[in-house]
Amino acid sequence: MSTVPNVPVQTRLQAISAGRKRKDVAARWTLGLLTGIALVPLVLVIFYLLQKGLKAWSWDFFTTDPTGAFIGNQGGVKSAIVGTVEMVLLASIVAVPIGVGVAVYLVEFGKDSKFAAVVRYFVDVMTGVPSIVFGLFIYTTLVVSGAGGSSFAGWKGGLALALLMLPVVTRSAEVVLQLVPQGLREAALALGAPRWVVTLKVVVRTAIPGLITGSLLAVARAMGETAPLLFTVGALNATSLNLNDQMNSLPLQIFRDVGQANDQLVTRAWGSALTLVVMILILTLVARAVGRRSANS
Amino acid sequence: MEASAINTRGAAAPLGERPSRARLADPAFKVFLTVLAALVLVLIAFFFVFLANKAQPAFSQFGVFGFVFDNDWNVSQGVYGALPLVVGTLISSAIALVIGVPVAVATALFVTELCPRRARSTLTVLIELLAAVPSVVYGLWGFLVVIPFLKPFQQWLADTFGFLPFVGGPVAGPSYFIAGLILAIMIVPIVSAISREVMSTVPPDHKEAALALGATRWEMIRMAVLPYSRRGITGAAMLGLGRAIGETIAVTLVIGNAPQIGKQIFDQGYTLAAVIANEFGEAANNKIHTAALIAAGLVLFVLTLIVNALARWVVTRAERVDKPAGRFRRGGGGGLVAGSTTVGLTPAPVDDIATVVSES
Amino acid sequence: MHLNKWLALGAAGVLSVGIAACGSDSNSSGSTSNGSSTTGDAGSSVSATLNGAGSTFAAPIYSQWGADLKGQGLTVNYQPVGSGAGIAQLAQGTVQWAGSDPPLAPADVATLKKGTPAQFPVALGAITASYNLDGVKSGLKFDGATLADIFLGKITKWNDPAIAKLNPGVSLPSSNITVVHRSDDSGTTKGFTQFLANYSPAWKSGPGVDKTVKWPVGTGAKGNDGVAAAIKQTPGSIGYVEQAYALQNNFTFADVKNSSGKFVSPTLESTTAAADGVKVPDDLGISVIDSPNAAAYPISSQTFIDTYQDLCKGAGMDANTAKGFVAFMDYALGTGQDTLTKLSYAPLPDSIKSKVQTAVDALQCNGAPAKG
Repeated sequence: MSTVPNVPVQTRLQAISAGRKRKDVAARWTLGLLTGIALVPLVLVIFYLLQKGLKAWSWDFFTTDPTGAFIGNQGGVKSAIVGTVEMVLLASIVAVPIGVGVAVYLVEFGKDSKFAAVVRYFVDVMTGVPSIVFGLFIYTTLVVSGAGGSSFAGWKGGLALALLMLPVVTRSAEVVLQLVPQGLREAALALGAPRWVVTLKVVVRTAIPGLITGSLLAVARAMGETAPLLFTVGALNATSLNLNDQMNSLPLQIFRDVGQANDQLVTRAWGSALTLVVMILILTLVARAVGRRSANS
Repeated sequence: MEASAINTRGAAAPLGERPSRARLADPAFKVFLTVLAALVLVLIAFFFVFLANKAQPAFSQFGVFGFVFDNDWNVSQGVYGALPLVVGTLISSAIALVIGVPVAVATALFVTELCPRRARSTLTVLIELLAAVPSVVYGLWGFLVVIPFLKPFQQWLADTFGFLPFVGGPVAGPSYFIAGLILAIMIVPIVSAISREVMSTVPPDHKEAALALGATRWEMIRMAVLPYSRRGITGAAMLGLGRAIGETIAVTLVIGNAPQIGKQIFDQGYTLAAVIANEFGEAANNKIHTAALIAAGLVLFVLTLIVNALARWVVTRAERVDKPAGRFRRGGGGGLVAGSTTVGLTPAPVDDIATVVSES
Repeated sequence: MHLNKWLALGAAGVLSVGIAACGSDSNSSGSTSNGSSTTGDAGSSVSATLNGAGSTFAAPIYSQWGADLKGQGLTVNYQPVGSGAGIAQLAQGTVQWAGSDPPLAPADVATLKKGTPAQFPVALGAITASYNLDGVKSGLKFDGATLADIFLGKITKWNDPAIAKLNPGVSLPSSNITVVHRSDDSGTTKGFTQFLANYSPAWKSGPGVDKTVKWPVGTGAKGNDGVAAAIKQTPGSIGYVEQAYALQNNFTFADVKNSSGKFVSPTLESTTAAADGVKVPDDLGISVIDSPNAAAYPISSQTFIDTYQDLCKGAGMDANTAKGFVAFMDYALGTGQDTLTKLSYAPLPDSIKSKVQTAVDALQCNGAPAKG
């Protein structure tokens, strides 16, 4: 049966005293206030972004590549947008399944094993690694050695991003999977389902909204990171669909443009930042809709 | 109540014998996952070994303790003592957690418990939009907007609360405090989103029981929601901490990058992550400088490990203390252990477990 | 459920392919309205890709030249990761040439093991002492010793006698001086601190000379633009800002006393003058700071393109790419020099240009002349 939460004896079945009522009202107001406070920087930053970046947006901005020119036509950021999509897609395809897989292992099979504890600690440590270190790691292992027949390549940047995402996906998935009630597992098992069916079709399926949330946060983080890409993807102004080529990306474009003396380039940088935010927003909405559909079907 | 969610229509069939291939699938599944986890472990271990190797020249020159606890980071003289960086990392992350976690948990509570249903998804999306902003934008906004705007406020805080330790002094602009503030904003979405997911899985019967016994909404939250969510919220906070500790570009724009141990929170400082971001480009061809930067990274990892281990231990102890009777343990086999404090059924999105079961 | 996920993924894929396809031929050099891009002193129809990395100071130059040369078949990919990282990448063979502000030091040469390194100065720049002082326009006079004392924290007010002595007749406010410096590693910092160390023993033995030093006073800001923004936001502040930035954004900057005793304003001409008459070593590793030229602005700097003498054996280029590189260098020394002034960098003086051209002509590919 359900366990009863620790409600002290004297509060049961009594009229709510004025003191308790005041605490309740105060608590509600505080929570609401703090929520409002959390939203203030959002409004300010978005406003600032719009103010500085909207004027960069134009048809050319989205459909032409940067030319590299400082005087004359500077071009748009098409290659940056395409490059970001390519690399983040690769990173997500690698990091999300692996991350969720490891989390499933930790939650379903790893309660008592020392091995799982070690994995858990290592993943924890990875969540705090500065993003630039992943880039350096990939540079030294994959770029210098010319793996895949190229020095700088889009897929290497994608892998650096995957390394960045992996611990976040794993940790958040672990938190979410731990909360799937035991009873669900036991009921399914009691009905004779094999373990793997229970895990995949009951536990994971139940946790999908949470898994999507965690993965989305990791993707959003990966999309906005410059440092892992600095030493891994090189520099290319042209759009490339070949992940083995050097590649442009929005964070790199922002990084190159934002410190320049030329005002138009600075505006382009803010336009790129705004584009990034909008892309992540669209991704969030789409993923949530898909997740909701999948959890309810 | 929830028992009706299980449709026993197809229950009879699966209780018969299982085909042999299904008998293999289970161990195969476990092996697959174990191998996956092992591979990830190998990758991470390789990662750390690789970094330790690169950092070695710095440790052999300064000694591990010398490197971590010497208070002198002087690049031009080739002296690398990381204490100011360690202190800066701890201070800015602590400020970020102190400000960010309560705000994030409050928003999660508000969204799951207090907010009208219709506003729920809008608020959720809005909070997560905070995560959509790239870190460089937060840094630039912090540097160009927040610092000048908050300078008088910081000065007022320093003057009014100067009697408190670590508060006071001339306010230059960039500071530990601003860095902590910007980091707090950056960690709110992740802490809030995960906390929200955690809180939305609190069994309704827990909450209803508390309310039925006469608790106010706030008391119900305190008694039913928060204890249940404690482990998950800690996990969320650790993810936020990881973000705060490892954030490079936003911090480096607003902390002033002064390799000193500031005496007040309004002093300029430096963090381990920021120093790597700032100096790596020019250090790349200097072996000892590069080694020192990578060593700074390693110190960062150890810090993260310590805090995470501490957090996990605290939560496990707290859970052990107030676990009510009713948990049970099934040893051996797959090692199913009651990880939560309830043995009830929750209305599952998977309405028809038996149908699912019979499909396999 | 799964269907929707696949649909979403598929839509994203189609969308990106669509965007790429409809724009795939926009690689036509969005060249320039300054019409200087197609004078063919590159004179070749070489089609090659040149990969470089390094100095952030010079990045706009290489980026612009790359855009101008697109129409002639040359693609220049340049990563602004810092001079040190550029040389490291050259040494590791991941790029073919590096952009570096300081000349190659013996330690750098030791890492470039693939052959004899070659360096070519291609442009000059300067570091301004920019300030934000109400009512005081550009042209406030400073010398090295006074600047050093300001950055050491010994001079704290604008109307300090030392400053007043250099600026008779200028009404200086009594407000505090706020020092702004770079917080990231930078060749600009190295140049500025070198200048300070030349005129202030206290600076030399104290913070010293390096790409990043322990600043006794002041606020740190990241990047040139960070320092510039900090100066703009803080009345009474002074900091050091790259000339290109200061010129393009109409900053207020100081006239600095040079080694001949003259107070010189940081114009492009005075910067070019700094390289005129400076000693040119055999390896072309010039240093133009504190130039002996009487017309020179003292806090000037140079930037190099580094690679190997044998482009193919050393830098890993093939014969075609080596030809392209030579064409690139010819452009750099020809029309590229005109573009420099438009970008607010200072061109090389003729005396240096000819020496560099000779060295470029001597570049080889597998023992044979690289230009073919």
